[in-house]
This record gives sequence, C-alpha cells and structure tokens, in this order.
Amino acid sequence: MKNGFTVFLASFFVLGSSWTAFVLGSAIQLGHEKQTTVLNGSDAYPVQRAGEATLGLQVYRASGCAACHTEQVQQNGMACDVILTAAGKNAAAVSNLVAKLKLSDLSEEEAAATADKITAAGGKVETRIIATGGDIARGWGIRHSVAADYLYDYPVQLGSLRVGPDLGAIGVRMADVNLQLQHLYAPKSVNAASAMPPFRFLFEVRKVGTVRSPEALNLPKEFAPADGYEVVPKPEARQLVAYLLSLRADVPLYEAPFTPATPKK
Amino acid sequence: MSDESKSCSTPSNAEPKATRSTVPMWIFSAMLVLIYLGTVYFDHHSGWFSAKVYSPYGNVDELELYQPKSGAAAQLARGKQVYEQVCGLCHGVDGMGKPGQAPPLAGSEWVMAKGTTRLTHIPLLGVTGTIKVQGKDWNMSMAAMGASLSDSDLASVLTYIRGSWGNKAEAVTADDVKAVRAGIKSPVPMTGEQMMKMPE
Repeated sequence: MKNGFTVFLASFFVLGSSWTAFVLGSAIQLGHEKQTTVLNGSDAYPVQRAGEATLGLQVYRASGCAACHTEQVQQNGMACDVILTAAGKNAAAVSNLVAKLKLSDLSEEEAAATADKITAAGGKVETRIIATGGDIARGWGIRHSVAADYLYDYPVQLGSLRVGPDLGAIGVRMADVNLQLQHLYAPKSVNAASAMPPFRFLFEVRKVGTVRSPEALNLPKEFAPADGYEVVPKPEARQLVAYLLSLRADVPLYEAPFTPATPKK
Repeated sequence: MSDESKSCSTPSNAEPKATRSTVPMWIFSAMLVLIYLGTVYFDHHSGWFSAKVYSPYGNVDELELYQPKSGAAAQLARGKQVYEQVCGLCHGVDGMGKPGQAPPLAGSEWVMAKGTTRLTHIPLLGVTGTIKVQGKDWNMSMAAMGASLSDSDLASVLTYIRGSWGNKAEAVTADDVKAVRAGIKSPVPMTGEQMMKMPE
C-alpha cells in the first residue's frame, strides 16, 4: 500500500475523535454521577434496588423487553401555575383580581409578574412548577428521566423503540403486583388492544393440589386454564414484577424540578 | 471548469490529471453561515456540557429559574441552607449528631414533639446540663444559636429538622416563632429539668 501510514493515521483520527466524543466525553460529563437527595429534601435518591428487583433487571434483559419498551420519559417544556393560598385582608379585591388574571400554563416570567400583582393586592400565592410534554400528557411520567434515575441499573435498559408504552414510571402507573403478573401472563386480559406477546414461560400451569395455591393468578374466564389447573408465577415473574414496580422516577430533583402534588411536611 | 471541459475532449485512455483550481466563494460563505448557525444552536441547547442540564432547559440559569421557590418547598430549601450553615457543624448534615458534641435530631423525641413551643425555645435560649435523647444522656451545653436568626429563618430550620431524615412532624410558622420569642423574659440557657417541665 502506497500511503499505509497516512491511511492508518486518518482512520486512527476518525475512530479516535468519535471515541472521544461519544465515550470519553460522556464519561467526563456523567461518569461522576452519585447518589444525591431529593430536591428540597433530605431523602436519598436514587436508592439501591432490593435484591429481588435487581434480579428482575436481568429477567427484563433476558426477556428482551427493551426491544419494544423504552425507559426514558421525555419532557418538551415547563409551565407555572399560580395558586392563591390566602386572600388576606381585602379578600374581595384579591378575588376580583384573580378572576381577571390568567393563572395556569404560564412561563416563569409571567408567573412572577402575576404573583407580584396578587401579592401587591394583599393575597398570598404559591407558584407551582409543572413539567409538560407528550409523554407526560400520556401519563407515562411526571418529569423527564435523568441520568440519576439509572444510577443502579446495570446494564441500563434505555431502549430505543416504542412498540409498547414507555416504562420509565410503570411502578407508579400500574402499582398492583397481581395486575402486573396477570398482564405478563395474558396482556390482552388487561388491555384488549395490547400487542404484547404473553410471557407464559414465566409461569407454571399445574394441576391444583389439595388446595388452590394462594399465589395462583385470578384470571378472567377466557384466559384461565382448564378446570382443575392453576397458573402460578415462577420466581422469575416475581423478580420481573419487583423490578417493574421499582421504576418510578416520581420525585423532583435539581436537574428535573417540579412541585410535587402534595407538599411534603 | 475550463480544465474539466478540456479533459472531456482528450482520448479516454489518457491518464486523468488533477489540476489546481480555487474553491468557489459561495462554499466559503455557506460554511461560515453553517458555523454561525451551529454555534447559535450549541449556545441554546448544549447547556455547556453541564451534567445537570437536560432538554428542555438550555442552561443552568434557566434551570435555576424553574426551581420551586414558594410554599412548602421553598421553606424546606431555606431551612436546609440555614441548617447546614448554623446547626450542621455539631448536629451533622445527616442529623445524626456527634458523640460528645451534640445529640442526634433524626428520630429525636424533642424534635418531633406534638407542640413546637419547647422545641422553639431550644435554639432561642440554649441548653445547659443533662438531657435525655432517645434513652441516652447527653451532658453538654448549647449556645443560643437561633437567637440571631429571623423568625422566618428559624421557622424554616425547625420545619426542616421536623421533616427530614425520616422525621415526620408538622411545620413551624414564622408566627409561632414570633409568639415564642415575645414570651421570653430572660435569655438564660435552660437546664434539662426546666426543659422536662416545659409544656410541648
């Protein structure tokens, strides 16, 4: 080869620059993430998963859930709501003013101006910060996912294709263990339009012994096995559900601020 | 262009030749425009590589703008700030106290008392002598660390310690602190016995 060394240098430069940008750059930017606390609070976030849920991550990985599900809630914007907490001395004037003003879906500047107007009239207000966007409108989460949410995931199951809904906050949306198990065994029994394949290999269909197992699923008739049989989740199913329930991402963080629905005392 | 048209007329078996030609001006201009647009985009969307800035926030200042600043969240935030400056040195940032220095606040029955009057007296007057915290005797003195704080700051600190590290008790308002402060006649540190007698 005539210019072997030049070709080597050029390819080294090309591969090296992409490695610098995508691997080294990301490591410098996010490699130092560590456990922090919830915004304006002292609760640690995130916390290490319980053992069963940690095993569930491997079941999630082995079952290929990430092929159809993502774990990343997106946020397109933020809005402020101004809420009157106390009318003060001249309540009539304040309520007149409040009726005239736009109080929800404001930008930060508009909210500050509105709050100032009401405070000047003698009322007391609270400004609530709300995350907005398509995923949030669908109920898939209340804020965007951030690196801290994945701190104890190995490997991180971000996913890239949304055949099914996002699972970043499935533990909030579907918090019932039995419903989760039923959904894994027969997705169509929970949602008739579901395109999810049933994960029956996570369950055992067996003959009922002297008594029915307390762990057996209570399935609707068309999904239930033949009489005298019962569906019992294997440990893998329980682990997977424990993992799914651990996906929450429902606390405010510095990098993902919002005002929680019920202020914590 | 003229070189190229010449080469077209030469026989096809001739060795092709590269000749010098200048880059057209429009490519330079287009490059400059693209670089300009790129820097503008970078400025708006990069967050200057801060690990804390995610879309839709453009930079740290914008993120700061949207931190909750009013209501309970703001009181806790202020409380945390004051706590870490004034109280955290002895009682610990984690509220666990330090042996031989200060008793823990996390899980302390004094902090989580039903009423807030006695608790508010502690930073306003200070403590001397032995007090019992979670079944353990602590014999040391505390200065009136909260006497110089404003009513609202002291209320924020007390609310913070009553609502942190697993503690769950009602918030303290600035008016509560004001009333307690008005009731104090002589600013002398309380002894353990006085504190035991004081109503919550």
